[in-house]
Amino acid sequence: MSMIEFRNVQKFYGKFHALHDINLKIDRGETVVLIGPSGSGKSTLIRTINQLESIEGGQLIVNNRDLSDPKTDTNLLRRDVGMVFQHFNLYANKNVLENIMLAPRIVSRMPEAENKQRALELLKMVGLADKAENMPCQLSGGQKQRVAIARSLAMRPKLLLFDEPTSALDPEMIDEVLQVIKKVTTDSDMTSLIVTHEMGFAKEVANRVIFMDQGHIIEDDASRDFFQQPQTERAQQFLSKIIAH
Amino acid sequence: MQTWTNAFSWINIRFLLLGLKVTLFISLIVMVLSFIIGSLLGILRFAKIKYVSATVGFIVDIVRNLPLLLIIFFTYFGLPNFGFRPDVIPAAIIAMTVFESGMIAEIVRSGIQSVAPGQMEGACSTGMNFAQTMWHVVLPQAYKHIIPTLVSQLVSLIKDTSLATIIVVPEMTQQAQIVYGQNANFTLPMFVALALLYFVVCFTLSIVGNLVGKQLS
Repeated sequence: MSMIEFRNVQKFYGKFHALHDINLKIDRGETVVLIGPSGSGKSTLIRTINQLESIEGGQLIVNNRDLSDPKTDTNLLRRDVGMVFQHFNLYANKNVLENIMLAPRIVSRMPEAENKQRALELLKMVGLADKAENMPCQLSGGQKQRVAIARSLAMRPKLLLFDEPTSALDPEMIDEVLQVIKKVTTDSDMTSLIVTHEMGFAKEVANRVIFMDQGHIIEDDASRDFFQQPQTERAQQFLSKIIAH
Repeated sequence: MQTWTNAFSWINIRFLLLGLKVTLFISLIVMVLSFIIGSLLGILRFAKIKYVSATVGFIVDIVRNLPLLLIIFFTYFGLPNFGFRPDVIPAAIIAMTVFESGMIAEIVRSGIQSVAPGQMEGACSTGMNFAQTMWHVVLPQAYKHIIPTLVSQLVSLIKDTSLATIIVVPEMTQQAQIVYGQNANFTLPMFVALALLYFVVCFTLSIVGNLVGKQLS
């Protein structure tokens, strides 16, 4: 049974055709990396999966829920689908621990003691056990993103979406975040979909690489194949430009 | 000089203070009501619920673009045509609540809009519904941003109660008019007394409001 299935999905922004006839199947447990030039529709695609963006045509099934059906409960869907954002989106009015504990408390009504223990474990896992009481504004970008990853894991998602998790970071903080993502995606049987520009990292963690351009999926290969010998000229061009510097 | 000391006799001052009590009574009730109603309207307008938000927006825009005086007239002289004849103080409270709710609705909406959209996305991506997201994440930040604007709106509200004098609500300005109505020499002294009283009340509220704002941020 697949975790995500796109069938001829279309997405428009006004007249702009952002996603063209997307067909894609991602199985449970896979770690898939989504790459492509900016404006190619990677972020749009990943955001349709938890309904931060609506779709205008086709069918999209996530975790056995049909998102094209208006009766599908978006909030129920999102309990099982975590998301890590480019700009972290930590709650500015809550400290680190509260950021992690909020959703389990009010969405899954987890008992307070268990919730706190779990939050502290997650913080330890991302290497920030000593920052529990800090406010988000007191953290560096890399630390914020690690807290955001802990927060997204607190709901025990079956699927985790990473929308350019390192693009807003200073170069020297990228690695600490990538290490955490690597740990999270390889330790568990969770499905992950990662939009990234970090090719070395992509090569390392992904079982599968999807290359997008201008709203189309152009290539969908096993990770090793893609980086050794991309099939299309567009992908070859893209890779050579990225790896050149 | 004799006129001024006579004007500020204890009888006259006490008469003004009785008016101040009414002014504060009306202000307090209108503050509480319009804070609640205005917040709800502001959130509804922001929420983009089909028809509801547009209707709320339409009403709020009408209210905000009418003079308060006219709303007071409509309430006091218009409502009896619909079989509801409010007394002067309730009429003033109703009219002012309508007006101030409209003003506060827009302040609250701008506050919500000033919160980064990522805050909302972050919260709802965890499965929190709209109400939970607003209550736990967006509104606390929105209100923190709008405290100074909200305080100055509440100060305006106190000053606006003086317009209720037009339907003879026995608030402070009306009481002053009664005093100088009996002795035209007291006109200027009464205005000075009014100015002092309004200033003390409003300035105190500004200072307290801004202190609270600083405490919160």
